[in-house]
Amino acid sequence: MKLNRRNILALLGSSPALLAGSAYAKDKEKKKIGAASESFSQIKIEGLNPRGIPPAIQLVPMAPRLKTLDGKTIYLVSDGFPGADHFLNQIAIWFHKNMPSVKTVYRLKAGAFADDDPKLWAELKAKANGVIMAIGH
Amino acid sequence: MGIPTAPMVTIAFKDLAKTNAAKRGMPDERICFTPHPVWGKTDAQMYAYLEGDDPVTGKPLMKEVIGALTDPLTPDEKKSGTVTPSTGPATFVDTQDNLQKYYMNNGMTDFMSIVIPTKEKVDAMLKGTSHDPEEVIGELTPARGSFPAWKFTVRQVAINAVMAGAEPEYLPIILAIASSGLPSLSSSTNSFAVAAVINGPIRDKLNMNYGIGAMGPFNDVNASIGRAWTMLSKNLGNCGLPGETYMGTQGNVVSFNNLVFPENEKDSPWTPFHVQKGFKAEENVVSVFFGYGIAQGQGGKGSAVKPVPQFDQGLLYNFTPLTSIFGALAVLDPLVAKDLVELGYDTKDKLYDWLQKNATLTVGDAKTMLFTGGFSLRGPQAANLKDTDLIPRWPRKEMINAVVVGGQTNPYYQVGNLSYARSVSIDKWM
Repeated sequence: MKLNRRNILALLGSSPALLAGSAYAKDKEKKKIGAASESFSQIKIEGLNPRGIPPAIQLVPMAPRLKTLDGKTIYLVSDGFPGADHFLNQIAIWFHKNMPSVKTVYRLKAGAFADDDPKLWAELKAKANGVIMAIGH
Repeated sequence: MGIPTAPMVTIAFKDLAKTNAAKRGMPDERICFTPHPVWGKTDAQMYAYLEGDDPVTGKPLMKEVIGALTDPLTPDEKKSGTVTPSTGPATFVDTQDNLQKYYMNNGMTDFMSIVIPTKEKVDAMLKGTSHDPEEVIGELTPARGSFPAWKFTVRQVAINAVMAGAEPEYLPIILAIASSGLPSLSSSTNSFAVAAVINGPIRDKLNMNYGIGAMGPFNDVNASIGRAWTMLSKNLGNCGLPGETYMGTQGNVVSFNNLVFPENEKDSPWTPFHVQKGFKAEENVVSVFFGYGIAQGQGGKGSAVKPVPQFDQGLLYNFTPLTSIFGALAVLDPLVAKDLVELGYDTKDKLYDWLQKNATLTVGDAKTMLFTGGFSLRGPQAANLKDTDLIPRWPRKEMINAVVVGGQTNPYYQVGNLSYARSVSIDKWM
């Protein structure tokens, strides 16, 4: 006779129905695990802030404004991105049409977009009353 | 400078321009916005922008520009002093699930589940280095010169390494990458990619994968180090905030965990990459690259030639779509490298030399390219060039590099439009 758990129980005079108990036990165990994970999910933990150290910001007061643009020299400065030269030329045309007393001067900043250009800044300081700077795209 | 200035920026860069002005000390800078884009528009279309409204304020654009130069300053605009920005509390306390959401919703992750960096896990991670946890080890910025750089400590790198799933033994490589100053996420509208090639005995010590599938998701060391690079770029360099510090118009799938792989020194017929850069073979080194990304190269010209495929011709063929603004990185399976040796390239240097001399483009083509390799189109010599003249795609052979990786299942290769940036010692961080 092939022995399995039901046959063994029958030989021992016990009802094979006892096996049903194991299913109950499994279910009970499952509920226990569920409750444990539920309570685990409520446990609070402490995570560290992964951010670095931003630099302090030095506030820079803006330069005093002009009372009027009449008769003033406005430098039109491009950072070198394609199209900025054409765009600034249109601004020059706009001033010529709408505010002809404004003199415009076009300059291309040297180097890549973010590079410094001390020579140009010195020229602006010496000759410009105001600046319109076209940045990027 | 002390001269009234009206910066003009297109509307697509509103957040970037305003936050960057604030970080540079002018939170109220009078930025005037145009519609986007300016580049590629006709003169008439550009003039129409000037006659129209500033898309941010809704007021006439040129009136805004004139006002920016002439309206009296407000008290806020005259302010000076120092402001110390905050990055939030030192710790966050909540349940696992809520912390996952918190880190993700606050831009500190790559939008996949992380390992929560508890003090215990970070302390364990710090055992991977002899360095003082509070040592400030580097700076990162989304674009050097455009954004103020953030600094960071060994501990802060370790926190990010935990989040990425790395083990303490990987920390020296992650510290080396962080200290290189190259972030994995750049602010550019281009969607750049980065690569890190690891050389030296640490590759075997950590069981890194330089064989089959080395560049894919098949090894926790390669994967978690690459992932940590993106995580630390976001958190330690303030990179990767779309619209503010990340403007890559399409993004780059490589940025999830980047091109991080060790060179297959064992099967390469050539000098290891780090030795080419002046290190000793027994040193552990990471070399970092940046550029547009990488593409499969197999199937190109020369691959079917027998008995030895002409992989030099194949590389040249696959260099054609590359722009000259970045260099070329040939990533070769050892079988390809061995065939190149048979073709006479017994050193990488000979290959670089031949490729630089033969990778050319016409002046006419270069003139039509946005980022031309127009290196030869600049300077006085440019005036004498005809459109049909050939110019080198890269002016120097140093812009071409090759590394060997792969499991020799077939003689295949990939070609990256990637520039070599620098090599950094890993041993220094042990």
